[in-house]
Amino acid sequence: MKSVPTKKTHVLGAALFAAALALPSYQTAFAEATPEHGNVSFKYLNYRDSQPGQDRIGVNAYTTSIMMPFAGKWSVTSSYTYDSVSGASPVYHSTITQDMVSGASVISEKRNAGDISLTRYLEKGSWTFGVSYSGESDYISRGYSLQRSLLTDDKNTTLTFGGSYTTDTIDAWKKSVFDTKEVVAGLFGITQILTKEDIVQLNIGYSNGVGYFSDPYKYADSRPRRRNITTFLTRWNHHFDGSDGTGKFSYRFYTDSYDVKAHTLSAEYVQPLHNEWTLIPSLRYSSQSAAYFYKPVNSVQEPPPISIGPYSVDQRLAALGALTYGIKVEKKLAHEWTVDLKLEQYEQTFNGDAGLAPFSYRSIQLGVSRVL
Amino acid sequence: MMYALLLLLTLGLSGCSMGETVQPWDKAILARPEMTFEGDPLDTKYVEHIYSSKEAASGGAGVGGGGCGCN
Repeated sequence: MKSVPTKKTHVLGAALFAAALALPSYQTAFAEATPEHGNVSFKYLNYRDSQPGQDRIGVNAYTTSIMMPFAGKWSVTSSYTYDSVSGASPVYHSTITQDMVSGASVISEKRNAGDISLTRYLEKGSWTFGVSYSGESDYISRGYSLQRSLLTDDKNTTLTFGGSYTTDTIDAWKKSVFDTKEVVAGLFGITQILTKEDIVQLNIGYSNGVGYFSDPYKYADSRPRRRNITTFLTRWNHHFDGSDGTGKFSYRFYTDSYDVKAHTLSAEYVQPLHNEWTLIPSLRYSSQSAAYFYKPVNSVQEPPPISIGPYSVDQRLAALGALTYGIKVEKKLAHEWTVDLKLEQYEQTFNGDAGLAPFSYRSIQLGVSRVL
Repeated sequence: MMYALLLLLTLGLSGCSMGETVQPWDKAILARPEMTFEGDPLDTKYVEHIYSSKEAASGGAGVGGGGCGCN
């Protein structure tokens, strides 16, 4: 099917590549000792998604990051990302409204994002403060986060307390949308060493968001101005003596005030090989229920009046399941250099809307890093 | 119910270690990069944000997210 350019798709592109590639200051829930060495990394991502018979969005992203310890008890971490998107908008309405929004335009957008965080290491724990910024043509986001980690006397248990505040400004003048969004989030985590070959973690997260949760380009989309999210994440890493490999397993339960409930299982196996090669196959499965205001595509003919209440045909809010499989290869080189290559394929295996064409994507990552 | 189950699961796992404290000299394997939960930070960030553009659920591993128009 030949694509038809629309004005909607320009804004769509900006939001989509931002959605895929924003790299905010992000602190994982695990304490560590003062690092002995710094490192510098660069990673390139090439991404392409599609629906049956049609290529959609393509993204190229470039990220550099650096981490440096200093003054014995401090470290600073920073990253910068530049990304660009091109391609065609997705088919939200696979059947009835296909002609309205499925066609796509040539998209060309850019985004710049950066973040920096400062960590102070203590005898039994650490403090980390981070800030982030992301800017695109119609969306600016600023984030601030603070995290405290505490270790027990034997350093086998780590408690983590984190909080963040994010404030976003939407300025989509082409669609006459001017709004804001604020999100306050908190997290509690416990990381426990079980044996000399097993470590587990549980994170409980909660966020409270108020403001504009839609996207200006979306057809027939009116969402609640509040979204509260709760997550439970459990992770387990196990080393296998026989193969000298490491299995990494996780399960996340997600629920929010949209009535979305999601279960995500993932597994990864890190196998060291000869001559400093490492092979890492991975598998992930996720399923989710639909938001209470999601409307099946086949029932949508035109936007409802505003008074009808929350309403969306965004495919991300539909009931769906998806499988991802990937393979990553790493090679350590001389002088502390490491290069890696990762290939991933994502397939939506089912959805609760017969009129919704399933998405798939493939991504390629190419990275290089060096210990300083 | 789900919350309680998950909490009990992790606390139960934690309890397993109480009888046998892992000593500092036994932590060589735990110190390997692949045994940490952080993994490859740039890889993780790329992948998590791709998922946020395809699915409703996101987050859970840390704080300080946001930063894009990925509603």
